[in-house]
Amino acid sequence: MLDSKLVRLGAVAALAVAASFGTQSEAFSAEKTVQIAGFGAKSGVVRSFGINTEAVLTGAIEAVNAAGGVKLADGSMAMMELTFYDDRCNAEEGISVLRRIAGSGAVVAIGPTCSNVAEPLFGILQKNVGDEGDSGLQIPVFTDTAIKGGLAKISQWAFRNVPNENQMYKSLFEWINSEHPDLKTVYGGVEEDFAHSRFTWHKVMKERSPEAGYEVLGESKWLLNDTNFTTQVRQMKKAKADIVAISAHPFTTCGVLKEMTRQRVKPKLLVGLTSSSSMETLQGCADQAEGIIIPTSFAPVTEAAKAAADAAAKYEGSADLHSAAAWEIVMILKQVMEAQGISADGDAVDADRRAIRDGLASLKETDGLLGKIQRTDEGEAVKPYLYVHAQAGQWAILHDPSQ
Amino acid sequence: MDWLDFFQSITDGLLFGSIYALIGIGFTLIFGVMHKINLAYGAASIAGAYVSIAVAAYVPLPALVTFLIAAIASGAIALLIYLANFRFIPLASPLATLMATVGMLILIDEVVVHATDGMPQPYPALFADIYIEWGDFGLRGDLIFIFVLSLIAMVVLMFMLYRTRLGIATRAVAQQPVAAQLAGISLDRTNALTFVITGLLGGLAGAMIGASVGVLSPLLVVPITVKGLIVCVIGGLGSIPGAIVAGLAVGAFENFFLAFRGVTERDMYVMLLLFVFLVFRPGGIFSRSVARD
Repeated sequence: MLDSKLVRLGAVAALAVAASFGTQSEAFSAEKTVQIAGFGAKSGVVRSFGINTEAVLTGAIEAVNAAGGVKLADGSMAMMELTFYDDRCNAEEGISVLRRIAGSGAVVAIGPTCSNVAEPLFGILQKNVGDEGDSGLQIPVFTDTAIKGGLAKISQWAFRNVPNENQMYKSLFEWINSEHPDLKTVYGGVEEDFAHSRFTWHKVMKERSPEAGYEVLGESKWLLNDTNFTTQVRQMKKAKADIVAISAHPFTTCGVLKEMTRQRVKPKLLVGLTSSSSMETLQGCADQAEGIIIPTSFAPVTEAAKAAADAAAKYEGSADLHSAAAWEIVMILKQVMEAQGISADGDAVDADRRAIRDGLASLKETDGLLGKIQRTDEGEAVKPYLYVHAQAGQWAILHDPSQ
Repeated sequence: MDWLDFFQSITDGLLFGSIYALIGIGFTLIFGVMHKINLAYGAASIAGAYVSIAVAAYVPLPALVTFLIAAIASGAIALLIYLANFRFIPLASPLATLMATVGMLILIDEVVVHATDGMPQPYPALFADIYIEWGDFGLRGDLIFIFVLSLIAMVVLMFMLYRTRLGIATRAVAQQPVAAQLAGISLDRTNALTFVITGLLGGLAGAMIGASVGVLSPLLVVPITVKGLIVCVIGGLGSIPGAIVAGLAVGAFENFFLAFRGVTERDMYVMLLLFVFLVFRPGGIFSRSVARD
């Protein structure tokens, strides 16, 4: 009697357990998520970059999910889910964060903020896909902000959606030459200890401006955390150049511009670094920055760009040429994931990562906020751009080279 | 480099060096009284300046009042540092207080970063639009003001140390803490007041740096901490006249090498100067004898 009762009880329990497994399995498939890892600087003096990127990523993923999510290989839809990590704009931290991301279920990593993080970080990725002798990390990294030229070629797992400064400044100097034929000379100011600003002066502005017909009269150098620019601006004053090109981030750009005002250094034209076309510069020195011309790959001039800017603002960030690239990256990734047919299964993360990498590598052209973005074989982007200038405390569009 | 450039760079450096002197005095005064290094001093100085612009954002204030608020805020932060890092930590363990101040430096720096997202904040200046020129030689009006204000602050400090009961108590604690206690002087009270006084000076220095650059940034914390320590060592640990002279000298020295050798080599020469002093004059500028093992 007792035995039969126990058998019945056991059978009921087994059925209940089986039923519950079945229900869980169905729910699981319905609640599949595509894990996206974002990382960037959310501490230290470049914290605003990480905040902006996270805000734009959150807004973009919300937009994707609101439209139904990502279509998987089995035809079901999955939501994107973002986890954002802070790398403090520090190479060791960045590498540690990427290793953590590689050990998670994330199928792609979006970041980092700083070029001095991106360069060593790309170095720990597998250099050539399929090289079994290379034990480097195998996860696609898609960069929105780190802009120093030519970094994506370090690894076939590295991709970037950053503007091509060589092209932008070449075009800018040519345009200035056509608009202001009376200007003949350029003097540079460079923040010498920061990878991006140093590269942009020495390898971009200084080389592209003579090609546009300008004579480079010299350069003044300072460091990222310098506080006194009297000597450098005095050198600038002596040169009496028509154009002063400042390749520095907002803090020292403002310090130098204020010193130029004090010493009454008034070049006929000011050119700035791409990264300075942000609210930081206007917040620090709007009056002194008045008129400075900067090429940028973002301005809220299209419906998509306005949506990105609104989404960033909703999450207390700001869309600029760096963070807006994160919006484009999310949209590109959605298309690639759907085209490649990822599964978003927890046990197929490696296969999904490889599929996304292959999909990104095969891209030749993608949609961007300002128009079509060309993709190069080295994983870099060639993005549409505009020239903006500081006008009454705002960035206003000065010229659209595509028109 | 011609003679004009030479004089120009030395003069600019001397003017800016007055800020280093203020920072150096803060480090050296605390060391003189407590024989401890407060590495959070530079961070507190900049934090005080940030507090002043936070107040000015709500209530429009003249620049001088903003500077005053910076000094008071930094004094208050310095008191908190004393309580958190010195008062309740065993002073017998030198590393404990040193590491506590390192932690406090990072904490204050990150609080500022989180409050401002690291974005540069404009800082008011006085006489910023005045630039005095004699031919190619020029002087910044705001740096002259900073120099004069720093000198006044130093004179007030010296007066306080040598002409007031508080100053006598401070010097007594610095020289003979046990005897000072036997004479009825409270060590805790004197130490706390020393921190507040150095905080006031530091806040003024933070405000002056903000005013001279025209912008405040958390980027300023590390350089002024490093420069303050260099000034403190070159001037002689505990020597206020030494800190004043060393501050001005370091300012002139680094500006000369900036003009003469460029920014990438500038700090190498400043560090070289530090090593020269550590080797040949470890007691600082005004030490009476060379004390070496």
